[in-house]
Order: sequence, then structure tokens, then C-alpha cells
Amino acid sequence: MRRTRVALILAACTMVATGCGSAGGGKDTGSGPASGQITVWDYYGEATPLKKSIARFTKTHPDIKVKYQAFDYDTTHDKFAVATSSGDAPDLATVDMTWIPSFAANGLLSDLTPLSGGKLNGTDMKSQYTAGANEAMQYQGKQVATLYDFDAYALYYRKDILARKGIAVPKTWDDLVTASNQMAERPSPGAKPTRYGLQVLPDTFHYSQLLFQNGGSILDSDGKKAAFNSDAGVEALDYMHGLIKDGGGLYWADPNNTVAGVKDQQIGMFVNGPYMMGQLKSGAPEQAGKWAVAPAPYNKQPGSYLGGTGLVVPTGAKNPRAAWELMQFLLKPAQQQLVYTEAGAAPATSAALELPALSKPDPYFGGQAPFGVFKDAMSTATHFPYVESWGDIDKSLTDAVTSVLLDKSSSKDALDKAAETTDSKLGN
Amino acid sequence: MTSVPLRRPRRPRARRGSGRTDKVGYALVAPAMVLTTVFFFVPMVLSLYWSFNDYNGLQPPQWVGAANYTDLARDPSFRHAVKNTVVFTLVTMIIGPALGLGSALLLNRNIPVRGFFRSVFFLPVTLSLVVVGTLWKTVLAENGLFNHGLALLGISGRAWLDDPSTSLAAVSLASIWQGFGFETVIFLAALQTISQDLYEAARMDGAGRFQSFLAVTLPSLRPTMFFVYVVGVIGAFQAFDQMYVMTSGGPLESTTTVVFYLVQRFQAFDLGHASAAAYLLVVVLAVVSAVQLRLSKRLS
Repeated sequence: MRRTRVALILAACTMVATGCGSAGGGKDTGSGPASGQITVWDYYGEATPLKKSIARFTKTHPDIKVKYQAFDYDTTHDKFAVATSSGDAPDLATVDMTWIPSFAANGLLSDLTPLSGGKLNGTDMKSQYTAGANEAMQYQGKQVATLYDFDAYALYYRKDILARKGIAVPKTWDDLVTASNQMAERPSPGAKPTRYGLQVLPDTFHYSQLLFQNGGSILDSDGKKAAFNSDAGVEALDYMHGLIKDGGGLYWADPNNTVAGVKDQQIGMFVNGPYMMGQLKSGAPEQAGKWAVAPAPYNKQPGSYLGGTGLVVPTGAKNPRAAWELMQFLLKPAQQQLVYTEAGAAPATSAALELPALSKPDPYFGGQAPFGVFKDAMSTATHFPYVESWGDIDKSLTDAVTSVLLDKSSSKDALDKAAETTDSKLGN
Repeated sequence: MTSVPLRRPRRPRARRGSGRTDKVGYALVAPAMVLTTVFFFVPMVLSLYWSFNDYNGLQPPQWVGAANYTDLARDPSFRHAVKNTVVFTLVTMIIGPALGLGSALLLNRNIPVRGFFRSVFFLPVTLSLVVVGTLWKTVLAENGLFNHGLALLGISGRAWLDDPSTSLAAVSLASIWQGFGFETVIFLAALQTISQDLYEAARMDGAGRFQSFLAVTLPSLRPTMFFVYVVGVIGAFQAFDQMYVMTSGGPLESTTTVVFYLVQRFQAFDLGHASAAAYLLVVVLAVVSAVQLRLSKRLS
């Protein structure tokens, strides 16, 4: 507690001492090759591919000196805002794409177009990403980020258990209820599965996938009003609840505990993003060859939330041209490959997704090449709405989903309540 | 017999240090003064100002008067946080000191390996709340030690931290376990200062053990209890770490305390409401401490 208070006070003090205003300026708009020093902030964690890439970059770009600083996820979020608003921004940072709306709305992210001229490593920027990714990198018509790795959901399943029990890989919502029910093992009929359950995480990420698959959307087309409490939204949440009630769904409160559940065989199926490939391999190596990945079962249409890690140049970056040089370098296929080989996550550029290293059979997944599945998932994925109050909306939706999954509320009531909060946060 | 006029003994004059000594003193305290002013008093004043502003820390503040405070009064999440904080404080402050006193009374006797038990009771106090939170999160998990213990008794457990009806109790349990060793040590020290003459006198008056406890022990411990309750209540009102580690304030805000709420507002760049919540907490703590002080004076 005391530490938190001190951190808050320090952060507050820093903001005040430095004037709190949104900083601009300091931009090197010169011509010729970029040079000088740049500071990079990275939230990626121990398995970061950035370190290796930066070492390569400094060899090919001896005139640019890179100061690399690693922070954890929460620290990066808070520190980025405080430092950028006080003129002490890094030149390049990795950010979670869900942070983009609040950062961009507060003018913390540079428009990359003047630096890029619409090109990435000499080729048209738009052609190097899927349509959904291109849209995710824009905020109010300006490109404020490039996508470094992506997150879109597919179904992970224990193929050895499905095969042993003679269950077909589920393709539709109904299939998933039946398959998960057949797969799960319970101490008594109707009891909670103790082995091979389908993980059901009570969060906006997973609910929104079902919402999108059912033809719904989070906000209306103007982004001014909640739309998730539509019939499609209520049906999606009822279905999510039904996975636990009628299927082999296992309510799972802590997403960070997934690998532990996999290791002790409580979880036999889960829906998640490509980063889980790396986590499974490092966390449950003894289950090599037992897992496979399939497209997430859907109702009306395929769909997923689209997120991932973005690369941004904060406003007030001292050396944006050199930062852009590094950003382009990080998005070259050879560096993007490191996202997979170092972190087990999914590189975002289309060229990287075609790399042979990513399409070769993976022994952990029984010789399957799971990247193709995630690549397809990305092509139909949608990013969360880019509204400044997204954090509050996300929280109210998560609470709605949790209350339904815990039998505390009906889907309609919970979503209507969350919609009320959402509308008030959107200024209605 | 000559009477000696009573004279007030002259107070020895405070030796005034030389100017040089004063300067050295000021120089020595200056770093601490500057740091305290910059990192404590200035932010305190500033956050009071922010509590009357719509301020995200990134754009200039906009004066909104008392709107942040009225928003908090209307915000169900804040009201929920206040309720949770009060319940958490009551539970931990009723059970914690009672356990502390009970164990202190046991340890105050001549029992074998008393030193060992004293160390064992105090050990959790030396652990960080993050460590304690992580430990209890594992113990209270659905497949955790606690439920295995219950299963041996034929009782089926549940995911204590994932259920809104049990999560606050589970977090309170961890907090009590971590904190009551401190109360044990404080009560033990106080018990050892109580004169045996008082117990002897009580015994001669025919008081039994329980009556001695009521008539001698409890009144003698009153100043210590006041200390334990003031410090404990302030600590309980500021609870954050264990909720952060064990439940992230959930499920369904069932373990969101006022400080947790405040931090969430801060992370959402809503410094106006975060500051207002912080000041409401300060006011509540000041009132509660004043009431405790008055009660303590009246009782003594």
C-alpha cells in the first residue's frame, strides 16, 4: 500500500513539476540519414524479441545509438502517459493496442504518416497488413501505430483426448457445447468438470468474440452508444453461460493461471491468441504433441477481437526519424520472425506470416502448422472501439459477463446495466 | 522548626547552541525537509486542488467545483468500495486484535518453547503483503490446500476467491493471518508491564481468573488497545496490496476497496475523481481517529 501511494505521489509530482501539458516539439525534421541517440521502452517481458533485433540494428545502423529500457506492463502504461505529457518521452515504445484510444485521444502518439510517407521499408504500408490491422493502426484518420505482433483467437484443444473419445473437432457453437461436454470428466453427473474442461474466461475479449460471431457489435456505427445489449449480444452471453451450464465449460477467473490448469489437466480446451503457443511450450513441455489449434467455432460468422502489440513514436520524441528507422527495421520479415522464435507470439506483417519458419510443422502441435489458423482468424478480427473511455466500458462489460457466468444476473439485465454505464461514459 | 519557603525549582535553562551549531542542524535536516515538502506536502496540496478539477494529468485541469465529490456519492462502484472497506475494517479489526490478545495471553504464561511460538506468531508480519497474498491465493484456490483439508473432513470446498460472496472474507482471512502477530507482540509487551501486585490484590479480594482479566488486565491494556485500533483501522482503510494480488478487486468489485478504486481511477487518467476519493478517505480517517481518541479518553 505504502509503495503504491508513494508511486502515485511521485507520478503526480512528476506531472506537476514538469508542467503537465501535452508536449509537442523537439522533432528532428532534417533530411539525410537519421542518426543520434534514441530511447526505446519495451513492455514485452523476458522473452522480448526486441533486444536481439536492436543488437542487429546497431550493427547495420552505426550512426544510431539505441538506449533500451524494459518495464513491466502496468508500469509502461502509467509511465508512458506521465513521461510523454511531461516532455520526457522515449522515442519508440511497445504498447498494448488496447491502450491506443486513451493515449491517442490525449495526443500522446505521433502521426506516423509524415515519417513514413505511407510506405514501410519502401513498400506501400497498407499492402503489408490485413484490412483489420490497417484500421486498428489508425486513430481519427491518422496512423498512430504499426502492429508488431497480433492477437486474434482460435481454439486450442487436446487432440489426444478428442481422438481417444472419438469426438470431432467442433466447428459451430452447438458442436462446441456437445464436444466440450463429451470431453469433460466430472466426479458425478452435473458436477463441475475436474478434467479436460473448456476454459471459459469472464472477460470482454472472449465475450466480444461470441458477440462478433453472432453478428453483433460493441458500439453502434457512430461509436456513440452501446450496441452490445442487442438481441445478438444477449444471445451471445446466454450461449457463453450455456457453455458452463450445458457444456463442459469451466469458469476460470484468472487468465494468468491458464498454463497451471493445462498442466494439471483441468483444461482440455481453451480459446485464446497465438501468444499462448509460446506459453504452452515453455509452461507445459511434457504435453508436446498432444495439442492442436483449430478455428474458433462460430455461429453466424467467424470473428474475433483484434489486438496485439503496437509500435509507437510518442509526441515529443527527441529523435523521431531515427525511431522510425528502427520501427521499419523491427517490421522487416527477418526481425518479425524473432517474434515467433523468441516469444512464441505472432508477427503482424503479411510478409512475416508467409515466412517458411512460421508455416513449418510444429512438433508441439503434433506436426500441425498453427500459424495459418491464427492468420485466418486475424483476417476476420475487429479491434475494440477507439473511444477514450474504453477502459471503463471494458470494465462494465467484464462485470456484466462475470455476473451472468456466476448466476448473479440474467444476460439481458446485466448487459442493459453495462449499456447504461457505457452510454454515460460516452457522454449520453 | 523553620519553615522553608516552597520554591519552585528553577528549570535549567535550555542551553542555546551556538549559531554555527544551528546551521549544522538545519543543514542536516534540510534534505529530509526538502524531500518531504516536494514529495509529500506539495502533492497533498495539489491533489486537493485536483479534486475540484476535471483533470487527466495530460491536459490542463478544468475547475468543476465539488462535482467530483458529488459524482463519487452517486457512483455505485465507489459506494461499493466504501462498503467493502468498512466491512473489511470491521472484520479485520474485530478478529485480528482479539486473536492478538488471545495469543499474547497464552504466550505470557510459562509454557515450554515460548520463544519459538513468539517467533512463529510474529513471522508473518515480516513477510510482504504481496508474498502473503500470493501464498493465500494458492492455499484458497479451488484445488488448494484449504479445500484439500476440508475434503478430509468430508466438506466440499469452493473457489473462495472467485465467488463474490466469499472473496472479501477470504482476503480478510489472509490479512488477519499476516497482521495479528504484530498485535500479539504489542499486547505481550503491555501484559508484561502490568504489576503482579494488582493481580495479587484482586486475588485477595476474591476475584477469579476471568474477573482479574476484566478488572485488571483489560483496563491496564487500554492505552495499548487504543494504539492497536488507531493504527489498525488506518491500515485497514488503506488496504490495497492483498486485493491487488489475490483478486484484482473482483469478482464483481467484491474486494474493491477505496484505495483500489482510487488507483483504478488514476490508471484511467481520472485524477480528479482519484484525488477526491483520496481526500474523502483522509476526512473519514481523521473523523474515525478523533472518535477513537475521544472514546479512549472517556473510558480512562
